[in-house]
Amino acid sequence: MRFFLCLICFSFVLLLPFATVLAEDNGNGLLTVELTADHVDITTGFHGAQLSLFGVKKHEGELAIVIRGTERRMVVRSKGQVMGVWMNKASQAFRQVPVYYDLALSAKGSDLAPHDLLKEHGIGLDALDFEPVGRKTPETIERFKEALIRNKQTQGHFPLDPKDIYFLNGDFFRTNFYVPSNVPTGDYTVTAYLFEDGKLLDRYETSLRVAQIGFSARLYDFAHGQGLLYGLSAVLFAVMAGWSAYMFLRKD
Amino acid sequence: MQIYLPIAEMAVPAESILLLGTLVGFLSGVFGVGGGFLTTPFLIFMGLPPGIAVGTQASQLVAISVSGVLGHWKRGNVDFKIGGVMLVGSLAGSLIGIFLFRLLQHIGQIDFVIPVLYVVLLGGMGLLMLGESLMTALKWTRVQSKDPRPYHRPFFQILPYRMRFPRSRLYVSALLPGSIGFIGGLLVSLMGVGGGFFLIPAMIYILRMPTLLVVGTSLFQIMVTTAFATIMHAMANHTVDVVLAALLIVGGVIGAQVGVRAARKISGVYARVVLAAILLCVCTALAGELLIRPVELYVTEVR
Repeated sequence: MRFFLCLICFSFVLLLPFATVLAEDNGNGLLTVELTADHVDITTGFHGAQLSLFGVKKHEGELAIVIRGTERRMVVRSKGQVMGVWMNKASQAFRQVPVYYDLALSAKGSDLAPHDLLKEHGIGLDALDFEPVGRKTPETIERFKEALIRNKQTQGHFPLDPKDIYFLNGDFFRTNFYVPSNVPTGDYTVTAYLFEDGKLLDRYETSLRVAQIGFSARLYDFAHGQGLLYGLSAVLFAVMAGWSAYMFLRKD
Repeated sequence: MQIYLPIAEMAVPAESILLLGTLVGFLSGVFGVGGGFLTTPFLIFMGLPPGIAVGTQASQLVAISVSGVLGHWKRGNVDFKIGGVMLVGSLAGSLIGIFLFRLLQHIGQIDFVIPVLYVVLLGGMGLLMLGESLMTALKWTRVQSKDPRPYHRPFFQILPYRMRFPRSRLYVSALLPGSIGFIGGLLVSLMGVGGGFFLIPAMIYILRMPTLLVVGTSLFQIMVTTAFATIMHAMANHTVDVVLAALLIVGGVIGAQVGVRAARKISGVYARVVLAAILLCVCTALAGELLIRPVELYVTEVR
């Protein structure tokens, strides 16, 4: 009897991690997506990367896939003329701005779900809710928010248009994203949403790590972890380069 | 070929950076200037953050000034005593410059102040050089006074704390080289230039140092100041990108080689006219950016 009790307890302990995984793994199994690589490796030769995502849905409906970078505080400054010279005059800060954002849709946003639902899940650029800092008129804040989105689009960190989702057959789909070379590093989330008749049926979230690796990562860690030592090495390197240039030049 | 800069966290075309380094190295070979006044604006123009441009430029200037100062040192053309006094000022200036840079970044005026400083300094130097070289070229020299050291004393010669500088045969207030160094240090930290274009005239016309010692001594003080600024930038702002610096240095060494050879074939006056023209071109381009309505009136930064 005691043996059985022990066994039951033991199996619970064993199953506990699975239980939490199941609880975390949002969704009821109608939707599964997988990135071909769950990391973007930035090396010295990095000049942008192609990201492919595959997925299966087991139910009728339309899809939205969103890539989101970490959220940061951003400041938008606007230029104005002061005595004939253009300089920054006004500024507006926003909290919770994703450093990177991209999305793919299988149908037009308005056909997918009601605006409120899209806004709740942050699907689409106009559904992104940045929290403005300070008290300015709504029109001013809207103007700065539009500028922020425009600036991020120019940088290539926000999409100009949603990407397409390609169906390989009825429920097997694929989509491609392109990450530019100036992509901010950090832990990203990739979330897929399944909508039917304007209701959210299922969502599936997976992570994407954008980080420098190898030599360039070691250099970055060195510079940020040990500033003094890094500075001294930079100087030492420059002194040696200057000295060898002198020896080189002296010969003729 | 794109190369990813680990500290700037962006990719840049390596050829363009090498080319820029080579061009600046060529200029420093021909004219004996550091060329920071060209590198920093071009790096910013290529989309690098001003902080990275200025911080990295400091480390590149270490290399340039080391290679320059060694020859002068060997020939004994460095006055270490007056250079040391200048350093006291320039290290203080460099420290304050780094603080000012951060303050300006915080209030969002760094991309306004840097071009303004450049326009004023490059414009002023360019016009002065152009005027002087044109006069020389047209044999329109002013009547030289017989004694180069005037008997009347300007205000700065009656300052206290006078010191003897035997190497330069000077007996002047320590405040004078100290404050010249201070301005030099500010230029290094704020603008990413060595400041030779300011130091050399100041040492000749205000300190009245022997011309023979001026270049070596100014290079010595630029070397120590830029080394100090590099370490401070690396510690306080993490804005020194050694990959970018290496590209600039390699280009610079090649360019300087070619430049030194070319310098033998170019007459001094014409070289100065060309340099003045380059200074004025960069100055006009930067002034244009300040005066013409920008296409995008908004900028976004992570804060």
